Amino acid sequence: MVLEATMICIDNSEWMRNGDYSPNRFQAQADAVNLICGAKTQSNPENTVGVLTMAGKGVRVLVTPTSDLGKILACMHGLEVGGEMDLAAGIQVAQLALKHRQNKKQQQRIIVFAGSPIKHEKKLLEMIGRKLKKNSVALDIVDFGEEDDGKPEKLEAVLASVNSNDTSHIVHVPAGPNALSDVLINTPIFTGDGEGGSSFAAAAAAAAAGGVSGFDFGVDPNLDPELALALRVSMEEERARQEAAAKKAAEDAAKEKGGEQPTTHDTAMTEGPSASASEANEKKDDLMDDENALLQRALEMSMDDTTSSHDLRDTDMSEAAADDPDLQLALQLSVQEGTKEGNDMSKLLADQSFVSSILATLPGVDPNDPSVKDLLASMGNQTEKKDEDKGPNEDEKQ
Amino acid sequence: MSAESASGIQKGLVDLVDFIDWSGVECLNQSPVHSLPNALKQGYREDDGLHLESHADEQLLIYIPFSQVVKLHSIAIIGPEEEGPKGVKFFSNREHMGFSNVSDFPPSDTAILSEDNLKGKPLILKYVKFQNVRSLTIFIEDNQAASEITKVQKIALYGTMMETTDMKGLKKIEDH
Repeated sequence: MVLEATMICIDNSEWMRNGDYSPNRFQAQADAVNLICGAKTQSNPENTVGVLTMAGKGVRVLVTPTSDLGKILACMHGLEVGGEMDLAAGIQVAQLALKHRQNKKQQQRIIVFAGSPIKHEKKLLEMIGRKLKKNSVALDIVDFGEEDDGKPEKLEAVLASVNSNDTSHIVHVPAGPNALSDVLINTPIFTGDGEGGSSFAAAAAAAAAGGVSGFDFGVDPNLDPELALALRVSMEEERARQEAAAKKAAEDAAKEKGGEQPTTHDTAMTEGPSASASEANEKKDDLMDDENALLQRALEMSMDDTTSSHDLRDTDMSEAAADDPDLQLALQLSVQEGTKEGNDMSKLLADQSFVSSILATLPGVDPNDPSVKDLLASMGNQTEKKDEDKGPNEDEKQ
Repeated sequence: MSAESASGIQKGLVDLVDFIDWSGVECLNQSPVHSLPNALKQGYREDDGLHLESHADEQLLIYIPFSQVVKLHSIAIIGPEEEGPKGVKFFSNREHMGFSNVSDFPPSDTAILSEDNLKGKPLILKYVKFQNVRSLTIFIEDNQAASEITKVQKIALYGTMMETTDMKGLKKIEDH
């Protein structure tokens, strides 16, 4: 949310006709400029952005710093490509335009797109950089297009002479499959030193790139919060159920030894997340195909999950409560906690060894008693049935 | 100390640090670590460990607005012998100057600081030029030893207030 006035220096020289960025360098640059303008004006409504071109007949200011996004985008139309870029003059004119900004409280920033070879000497560029630093103007450089000998060094030298406190940045974008704007979105040029425009940038990325972005479920929470929330909830339920099932499986194996509580917990935990991670990936693919159907299924599964866990808890409560008032109180308290945590409690109660140890301490209960054994076996069956359901589901998805 | 207080508190002069409008204070080309409040603010400026330093080169441009209109009598600029300021220009009531337009108009006053000044002897300004000061711009052009960095330990401004209307004191005339 830094209050900033920005001047963007566009390279519209002959070198921009090249098609190594799609569709051509100039178009890629224009897209990036549009995105930057949007990000700046969104991060703070009082921000202003101006645009100038560096090549053609000479340096020409297309629009002086303004907060009107429409005006800025309009002036990007009908730009002609030709001539040679004059970097030094471009930066100096940009500095002058910033000096005469209306709101003197704004920080000054220049963003330069350097796509063609630089004909100036390094010394001259360093001098310009120092002047910018003296007048507290920050400079962002986008090095793309021509890969000239000495161009990266010159640009790095300029950056070094301007930079004070890491307010200035440089980004080298080689030609490749990724669009120029996509590469820039993750850089500090967009994210503004770690705050501000990142939410806008992320939203723009999701919209532009068609959903394959850094979001958990391929859905932008800004665009569709309800869907994102439902997906997140069902994912968590699924993960918890996974953990319970995995824990059950691990603990069944260790049941003869009378399994130590903490170790089974740990192994179950490590198995749980890895299983749920693969789950998450599969879920993502499904969502791409058929969101509604999957959402339905996820919700159903989570509904089943909660009802079954409730059953578990209820049976335990009635069995133990009958025998020992202290235990009853303890179980009540722990179940209350459990309702907050949800499935954690059911996991604990599902752990046979834990339950059997509790029951063993009860005065009237004998673990070898057939009815107790039946109860424990039934708990085991319920979680095993869940395992079976999970098995065919995973096979289907694969 | 007594010499300073004698020169500072003569003819009802006060230290104008209380009238500085801190929200508008600016300094161009200052080092991010050693910044203007170190030299200007009460308490910081007395501390020998804190000073103002220039960044990219040896020049400094300091802009000080006041919350009230003041009359400026003298300025004390204290700094180290070697890197302390030498050529200084003062501009009254010029907003938002930059290094490029310091030579565009004549300063209200200029001074070359001597060693005595750097130790605490205040510079007496052309009083007639500073009768009606809303803001002061100090342009430090170079330093004593012509080194890369200029250091300033303390800047103290002495003067008097103008009799201006105190808006808070305005009261509605009550009907009897």
